[in-house]
Amino acid sequence: MSDSNQPIIEIRDLSHAYKRQLALQGVSFSVEPGSIHGFVGPNGAGKTTTLKILATLLKPQRGTVRVFGLDIVADYKKVRRKIGFMPDHFSLYRQMTVQEYLDFFAAAYGMDVAERNRVVGDVLDLTDMAARRSDLIKGLSRGMQQRVSLSRVLVHDPTLLLLDEPASGLDPRARIELMEIIQELRRMGKTIFISSHILSELALLCDSVTILDRGTVRYSGSMTGLSQSNGEIVDYLLSLAEDHPDIESALRKINGVVAITKAGKVPQYRVSFQRKQTDPNTLLRAILESGAQILGFQEIVRQLNQAFMDLTEPGVPPMINIADQEQPPLPAAVPPGGTS
Amino acid sequence: MKLPALALFERALRLETRSLTFCGARVGLLAIILLILLPIQTMARVGWYGAPGLHFLQEMVWVNLVFITLAGLSYFTSAITEEKEEMMLGLLRMTNLNPVAILLGKSTSRLIGALLLLLVQVPFVLLAVTLGGVGLHQVAAAYVTLLAYLFFLCNFALLFSVIFRNTATATAIALLLLFLFFFGSYWAAGIERGLASHYRSDLQHGLWPAVTKTIELWRRTTPSERLGIIFQTGFAEPIICFQVVSDFLMGVFFFLLAWALFDPCTREEKDAAPARRWIWRRTSRRSRIPQGLIGAAAISWKDFTFVSGGKIGLLVKFVVVGLLIALCNIIAVETDSTLTRQFEGAALIWISLITTAVWLALEASRVFKDEVRWKTLSSLMTLPFSVSHLAYRKVAGVLFGTLPLLAYFVIGVMLVPDKVGDFIGEIFKEPTALGMMLVAIFQYLLFLHLTAFLSLVLKRGALPVAIVIQYLGGSFFLGFMSMFLVFAGGGGAEVFPFFIILICIVLTGVLHRAIGFRLVRAAAEE
Repeated sequence: MSDSNQPIIEIRDLSHAYKRQLALQGVSFSVEPGSIHGFVGPNGAGKTTTLKILATLLKPQRGTVRVFGLDIVADYKKVRRKIGFMPDHFSLYRQMTVQEYLDFFAAAYGMDVAERNRVVGDVLDLTDMAARRSDLIKGLSRGMQQRVSLSRVLVHDPTLLLLDEPASGLDPRARIELMEIIQELRRMGKTIFISSHILSELALLCDSVTILDRGTVRYSGSMTGLSQSNGEIVDYLLSLAEDHPDIESALRKINGVVAITKAGKVPQYRVSFQRKQTDPNTLLRAILESGAQILGFQEIVRQLNQAFMDLTEPGVPPMINIADQEQPPLPAAVPPGGTS
Repeated sequence: MKLPALALFERALRLETRSLTFCGARVGLLAIILLILLPIQTMARVGWYGAPGLHFLQEMVWVNLVFITLAGLSYFTSAITEEKEEMMLGLLRMTNLNPVAILLGKSTSRLIGALLLLLVQVPFVLLAVTLGGVGLHQVAAAYVTLLAYLFFLCNFALLFSVIFRNTATATAIALLLLFLFFFGSYWAAGIERGLASHYRSDLQHGLWPAVTKTIELWRRTTPSERLGIIFQTGFAEPIICFQVVSDFLMGVFFFLLAWALFDPCTREEKDAAPARRWIWRRTSRRSRIPQGLIGAAAISWKDFTFVSGGKIGLLVKFVVVGLLIALCNIIAVETDSTLTRQFEGAALIWISLITTAVWLALEASRVFKDEVRWKTLSSLMTLPFSVSHLAYRKVAGVLFGTLPLLAYFVIGVMLVPDKVGDFIGEIFKEPTALGMMLVAIFQYLLFLHLTAFLSLVLKRGALPVAIVIQYLGGSFFLGFMSMFLVFAGGGGAEVFPFFIILICIVLTGVLHRAIGFRLVRAAAEE
């Protein structure tokens, strides 16, 4: 069983291939309980494959995947009781009404009538869909269908939510409302593993992030760690009242400064230096000694989208051909549960 | 210079020429010809068949007719509906393509492909002439009949494809009307005779001759009637006959009608969604799932309600089968049969068995397919149950929907318990009869599994393809077993049914496992 300090998701050396195409290669990362973990990467990076493995729809071909300390292959039924998976296509019975749909899933999770009536009402209130409970799902907008899908995921009160591109195709209002619901769910103690392409919103929402590219992890850790993830080099933005001819030469004399780039028409400079060899105070002193008039001097924190661009390759990433790998071929994909 | 109207048509033909599926279908067809030919030739050598060529031709032509009717119908009805279902028709209409270009491109190209499948057989079927018992004229007449029927069927199906929003509805309505096309003339003739007899009218006077002539012409438009004439000894009628001309003209008429209706029927593009059928929408905030149906049993409730039609569906089925039985009684009265308890019992038993078999076959083709088609399998598969548990619960829901049909069966048995008892006694007294009954049951189970499996593999037409595969498989197996018995000196015939049962069990087991694997794979691929 899991203890409170144990990661909710623990993936070690996970690899998965479709026929001869390697979708995941040695993926390892973990997710802490109660956090919102962003999962980003270009199209074809392997995000959906990872999510399907976590949702027990696919069996990992190599490596181990533990959710709540449980092996997702051996204990798939226990894992399924504790997770809620929302695929990008929402997976809705569109001929049903909202009430019927949620009622069905609540019954399938073993709730009796009284409990179902209460739970369905609660999740509809949470997702602000109570007024539409008698509507046919096929008549709802995409944003509302997405909320119904999210309600279904919540119906059995799972601890871990796996959301695959939940905001794709939604209008800005629906996206903002979804983000508010996700924040509310975090306050309720849920751990949320969310894959998305909308980096600006993830940056505001997530505590930690994993960046995946071509089936390998480029970064996995906290959002604050992401801003310093390219090692020891730190960027500062220097704004001056007016341009100063000696500023660049004054700064270059300092040991550890690796680059000075003029940014824009206004007298602004991007100063990159090695944290181990110098510090912002030394730089400030040198600037003042040069006679320049400082308007501002602040660290440039790398945002998620910048990190994404830095850490992933440009263009459409081709999948890795398994024949090019030295490892032996992976076994055929058989989801947990099989046909037993 | 290329005509814009033919652009889509040309593209479809190019794609079809390169398609491996169509090449495979042609090779498969030749294999079928060989498999039909081999046992017939063997039988002829030992003198079991007097006219092996005629037998071979008949087998080929009837297989073609069944295949064209069942598989061809769903293939042609999906021509336009598949574009509607994928929400692509609007995009097609936004291009320079006019309705006739779309119809030619989507339907006529399929017709050409199907015609080629027929024509590729001709050189091989000419072997029938060499085998003896049939003339070249008969072979030509039979294939011209099939070609004309194929042309009619394609355009008939196209009309329904234009009118209806989804393939399932279009195919169901077209199949029903096609059934009337084939058998309606016989019923009409029966009703005509019944009415004439009831009103003591002379069929030679008044409007009756015109009615009789119309019914006769109707019958002559069907390929089955024409083929019956062609296979008669001494057939010497012209190849281009009334059936060929009428089927061709009807085909043209249906194409023109489809063209005329294309704009009004496709102007509005609606989101494709599964049908709700007969379920009333309730505004109650209370759960409608019964207290006991929790856990995996809820899946049975879902499939009973939303696949089988729920409680109203039970009522509808009860009424429809009741009407069929009533119709049977009316026909019996009209043909001067006496309504006895035995007759009622037999009618109830047979009608309930046939409707149950048909209904289960239809359900087998969609019980899993619908989950895959509407991408709902992934949410179902993340429920805390194994895939086999899920699948059995779905099947249980569908089986519950057959209760009204089985109710008629029970009533039938209660009406003639002595006859049923005698029948069962006879069956158990005679091992061969018992074997044949078990063969029928196990073959049907195999058929249901085959249908369910094909529904997960094929994009469309699982049921007709399963019928054809089962028919051909059964024929070949019987043919080869007969060959074996011939070579073995005729002994061992009594174990023959049990050997078939064993094979059915093995194949059913294999398909059973395969369905599970396909479901798991489909959920992961969503």
